[in-house]
Amino acid sequence: MIEQAVLGDALLQGAKEVFETMVFMNLEESSQLDPSIDGRALLGSIAFKGNLEGSLHICCNALCAQAIAVNMLGIDSAEKINEEETCDAMCEVTNMVMGCFKSKLADAVGDLEVSIPSVVRGRELKNTLGKGASKILVKVNIADEYVGELSLLYRNSPEQPSDKPGIDK
Amino acid sequence: MAKSLMIVDDSATMRKIIMRTVRMSGLNFKRTEEAGNGVEALEKLSAGPVDVMLVDINMPEMNGAELVKKVREIPAYKKTKIIMVSTESSQEVIEDVMADGADGFIIKPFTPEKFQEKLSPFVN
Repeated sequence: MIEQAVLGDALLQGAKEVFETMVFMNLEESSQLDPSIDGRALLGSIAFKGNLEGSLHICCNALCAQAIAVNMLGIDSAEKINEEETCDAMCEVTNMVMGCFKSKLADAVGDLEVSIPSVVRGRELKNTLGKGASKILVKVNIADEYVGELSLLYRNSPEQPSDKPGIDK
Repeated sequence: MAKSLMIVDDSATMRKIIMRTVRMSGLNFKRTEEAGNGVEALEKLSAGPVDVMLVDINMPEMNGAELVKKVREIPAYKKTKIIMVSTESSQEVIEDVMADGADGFIIKPFTPEKFQEKLSPFVN
């Protein structure tokens, strides 16, 4: 059985890998007690199914998302980036974090089928997977400047045979 | 020798990121083209083949795996090298697409060094 801590670690390590390699920003688990995302936020989401089903999310404020897009595209000024490019960059980051997460858990949960990533914008964004779902939330500090949240909503797949890997909370 | 490159990915932002990473890798291409899916890539290829294609797997209309099969069916594109660029890291998917005729695989997230390693044999 795979432990919830293992899932949380795979999520954090996957995000670190993507931010270091492609976003050129440092990402660390937040040591603050309860940092919150201020103002307008962007939430990147991607669903997955297999022995586990659920969704992976990355949330940060609009300024942080803009900085992510600027860094990924190698643009010298945030003024040169539009809203569509910012959302697209968030989608790509979400997609790549999911790829890393999936790869790190391949031996434990088998292959996971993933959806196309999407991004929503708004204030105080919340995600849910309905009854019986579990949630892992990792608060992070991005580039020592921004607050972000990595989250995983999941449940064991209903079709999962009892001898297949599952989640031990 | 400078050659021609086509980047096939449904995300315009990812196409720009790939282009930037190729430049950072120190590789120079005389001509570069972009396509948003397999259908668009085939249309652009019909105007003139390219030496190297960087192809995403998950795309609408025609995905990367289908594009590889189509390209390999056309004798005029026999010399075109196809490198897949995807978040997909399952060994089964990689083996399938290589068996269908891809010449290499780069897993996202990637570095300029990875592009240099995978592309330089076909560029220099």
